[in-house]
Parts: sequence; C-alpha cells; structure tokens
Amino acid sequence: MSTNTVDRQTLSTTRRRRTPTLTQRQGRWGLLFAAPATVQIALWTGLPVLVSIILSFTNYDMLNPPEFLGFDNYVTLANDPVFWKALGNNFIMAIVGIPISILISLALAVMLNQGLRGNSIFRTAVFLPHVTATVAIAMIWLWIYSPGGNGLFNIVLGFFGVPNQAFLASPSQALPSVILVTIWQGIGLKMMIYLASLQGIDQQLYEAADIDGASAVQKFFRITIPMLKPVTFFILVTSIVGNFQTFDLIYNLTNGGPANSTTVITYQIYQTAFQQFRMGLATAQSVVLLIVLVVLTIFSRRITGGKDD
Amino acid sequence: MTDTVFPGTLDASAGTEQGAAERKAAARTAKQANKRSASTKRRISRVALTVLLIVVSFVMALPFVWMFLTSVRSSPEIFSSDMPMWPAEWHWENFTVALERAPFGIYARNSFIIAVVHTISNLVFGSMAGYALAKIRFKGSSVIFGFILASMMIPFYAIVIPEFLMIRFVPFAGGNDLFGQGGTGWYDTWWALLIPGLVSPFNIFLFRQFFISTPTELMEAARIDGASEARTFVQIMAPLIRPGMLTVALLAFEAGWNNFLWPLLVTSSTNLRTIQLGLSVFRQEAGTEFNLLMAGTTMAAVPMIVMFFFFQKQFVNGFVGSGLK
Repeated sequence: MSTNTVDRQTLSTTRRRRTPTLTQRQGRWGLLFAAPATVQIALWTGLPVLVSIILSFTNYDMLNPPEFLGFDNYVTLANDPVFWKALGNNFIMAIVGIPISILISLALAVMLNQGLRGNSIFRTAVFLPHVTATVAIAMIWLWIYSPGGNGLFNIVLGFFGVPNQAFLASPSQALPSVILVTIWQGIGLKMMIYLASLQGIDQQLYEAADIDGASAVQKFFRITIPMLKPVTFFILVTSIVGNFQTFDLIYNLTNGGPANSTTVITYQIYQTAFQQFRMGLATAQSVVLLIVLVVLTIFSRRITGGKDD
Repeated sequence: MTDTVFPGTLDASAGTEQGAAERKAAARTAKQANKRSASTKRRISRVALTVLLIVVSFVMALPFVWMFLTSVRSSPEIFSSDMPMWPAEWHWENFTVALERAPFGIYARNSFIIAVVHTISNLVFGSMAGYALAKIRFKGSSVIFGFILASMMIPFYAIVIPEFLMIRFVPFAGGNDLFGQGGTGWYDTWWALLIPGLVSPFNIFLFRQFFISTPTELMEAARIDGASEARTFVQIMAPLIRPGMLTVALLAFEAGWNNFLWPLLVTSSTNLRTIQLGLSVFRQEAGTEFNLLMAGTTMAAVPMIVMFFFFQKQFVNGFVGSGLK
C-alpha cells in the first residue's frame, strides 16, 4: 500500500515536471481560441443583463441621468392592468396553442412514420412556415384575415352563408386568430422532432408486443406514448419559452390591439422603452420576463435531470 | 368472411388422417386469404392516410399559395366584391410596381450582407470557442462554458434595452465624446446592425457538441508531428465537422435574413433597412393594396424558401438536432 502511494507520487511528480510546457502552451491556445467569442458574449449579453437589472430600479428617459427609485417600478408593474393583461395573453396563448399544436404534430409524425410515398413533399409543406420570416407570415395572415369580403377566411365562410367576420379587428376574435397562426407556424418543428424520436424507438419493443398479440392501438398507448414522454416535455418547455418571446407576429399583425386584447410581454417592453422612453420601467418588465424564463428553464433541466452534454 | 367458413370445415374433418391433411390445406388457404384481406385492409388504410396527408399539406401550404396568387392579381380584382379564387389575369408587373414603391433591392442587399457577415463570424469565432471548450484543457474553461450555458438562457427581449443604450452611447462614435454623450453613437450605422450579433452562445454550444465527438487521437498525432495548435485546429480538426459547419451556417444565415426587431430599433434611414423591416414599413405604404404587399412578401420570403429546398436535410437536422442535443 505505502509503496504504491510512493510510486504514484514519484510518477505524478515526474509527469508534472514533463507536462507543464505542453499544458501551459495548450492552455494559452485554449484561452486564445475561446477569447473572442467569450469577450463578445460578455459584452453583448452578460453586461446588458447587469445593466437591465440595475436600470430596473431607476427612472431613466435617456436624456437625464438615471434616478434611483428602489422597487417603485416593480410596484408600478404589479398595479398595471395592461402588464397583467400582457402576461395573461402570453399565458392563454401558451395554454391553448401549445397543447393543440403538440397533438397535431404528434398525429402527423405518427402518420409520416408509416413510410408512405411523397413523405418528403409533405414534410416540406409542413416545415416551410418554420423557415419563413415571421414578418412575411404576418403579412400573409393579415390578408387571409382581411375583414373585408376578400379575406380568404371570409370567402370560405361566405360559402357557408356566414357573414363577414372582423377577426384581427375584433377584441374577442383577435387573440384566437393570433393563436391559430402560432399553431400553424409551430407544427413543423414539433413534428420533425417527434419524427426523429419516433425513429429512435427500439423496434424490438414493437416486435415483442406483436408476439404478445397487442393491437395497434395498444402499441401506440403502451409503447409509443411512454417512449415519447421526455421529448414531449422538451417540446413543451421550449414552446413555452418561445411563446413568451413572441414579438414579430404581434407587432405586424395587431400592434397588440384591439384594446390590448393581443398585447404580450415583449410588446409591452417595446412600447414602454421605445415609444414612451420609460427605460427604467421597461427594464423592470424585461427582468420579469427574464426571471420567468430562467426559472422555467432551470426547473425543466432539474426535472429531466438533463446534463448539457 | 373466410374466418367464419373455415373453422366449420376444420371441425368436420377433424380426427381422420385424411382430415389432418385437409385441415393443413384448409389452414393454408385460410392463412393466405387472411393475409390477402389484411393486405387490402392495409392498402386501404394507406390510401386513406395518404389522402389525409395530402389534405394537411395543402392546408399548410395554402397561405403561401394564396400569397403568390394574390401577388399577381390586378388591383380591381383585389377590390372587387366577388374576387375569383384563381386570378383572371396574371399581372407580373405588380412586382416591378412594388420595387418602384419601395427599394426591396437595397433591403435584400442589406439583409444579405448581415446574414453573410453573421454566418462567417459565427463559423469562425463559434468553432474556435467550441473547439477550445471541447478539446483543450485550460484554466477557466469550465467557467467559460458555464457562462456560455447561462447566456443561452437569456432571452433577447430581456437585454434589448441595454444593448440599444450601448449602441447609442458608444464613445467617440457618431459625434459622441468619451462618455458617449453629445451624439448618436452607432445608431443608424452598419456597426449597430453587425456587431452585437457576431456570435451567438447557442452556436458555440453546438460547435462544442460537434467537436466532442471527434477523435482526440488525430489531434495528438498532429501535435506529435509538430503541427502548431492553430494548424491542428484549421487543417485537422475543423474539417472533421464540416456537416456541423453547414448546419450552423444555415441557422446563422436564417437568423440574419429573418431578423426584425433589432434593425427596427437601431436604424432609421431607408438605406439601412433590412428586408423584413422594409416589408413591415411597406405595409403602411401599400395600405389596402394587398396585391403589392403580397408581391413584396413573396420577395422577402422566397430566398429562404429556395434555400430550404436546396438544403432541406441540413436545415431539418440543424433545427431538430440542435433542439434535441
């Protein structure tokens, strides 16, 4: 035992004597390689986070120096019905839109997994909205939802004798109309992720079920669904995170209106900061967004026990 | 049908030797018949499935078809009370009219420049950092990696205000003094459009994942052969992750081309507008002339769609793989 430790000690000292040049040289190169990106991110992500948090405790309009307010901005937000409305809209969009698009994309992925002909054309059609710029998508849907008789939806409804609907111009229909667009846009990626993990399921599970005489329905609910649980959770979390960052769509479709019926937290940040120039209050809003999303991400990493490599 | 006929026959002939042979033959035919009916059943369900998928693809693609059909309609048709589904005449000149009303060429050029610069910078700086974090042991590497991971969680909307202020108060730029006062800094300049997005933490993370699966032996062999660290990286290790490079390039290009909020905030002159921002501004210009707006939208959407057709596999792998890792 004791000779062993001695051996190991001498071994490690000789190694230490021999290696420093290489490790040191390597270390320098490692730092050199990582430095540009690290400095860039420290400057344009790290520093702004700190500035956001600091500014959120001040009153700042860009013309006069910031004035310390303590928690006043957060108190203002807590009493601001529009801010609560924005949070609520984000919440509704998430709770209505995400389950629907998850169900549709799961169904489509299972269908696609049957290896039918024309698979790739179909995948392209479903995935296209994900690659297209949201601004362009907003323009297309603006026209589809056009409240005049020439909007595509009103044309279709006209066939069934339904009178013209206001859609985005109606306080009660605007949010559902926006949610429909987010569903349409979000299906493609979710479907692709499901498809990838469907193809990763061990076929032996199905073969074993076949031997036991399981029906297709049983196989789906007893094998497929449980095997897809982790990926579903992943899709759920990333969708919620994405949902809280909806901005381009709202800005171009509705401007948060009518009567704040479609405003979301990012749109409130934009308005408060860049239309009203209340930078302190706007950073307080963005800190709230930051906390919501970071808590959600950390919480989900805990649950999945997901290490990042 | 076959199921109900055969069991009876089997029962009747049971017991005798002849019966056994008959039974075997009968069972064989029954099996075949079953197989046949099962295969027709399967074929029917496959046809039904295909039809369903065609309908779904049509619905998913319909907004794009509608965009295109509208872009070639005449103005009277747009405003007529009973607009036909299919355009009566194809007015390609809508595109030239839209181009006259708004400089989509300049917008597209600007977006292209930003997308290309961000693609290159993400490839260069991202792969360097990813390589260092995956393959080189150095002091502070775990701290840097932790920092990159933390940065990935930060939503852009949470830091957009300080970023804007930083652009506005860059010292000695745009008439600013040392303390960033007196002028407009980088506001409404190319610097504002290009600098903040040079590297995304997410791409560094992706590169690290790509490099982790490369063989370390190659690196050591290159070192033993006397290659410098820089040469080992550029000539030996970086070429190993070429597919990964393409993935990051596509993601970076897409992000550059489709970006909207940042150009909206930091530019004011027409000459610096990006394609998405230009399209959004053009909406005010076009008003209710949706044929012109859709012509502009087509121009803004088509480059990405074409690129997607060419690199479909890499795109999907990029979006899906990056999500799953």
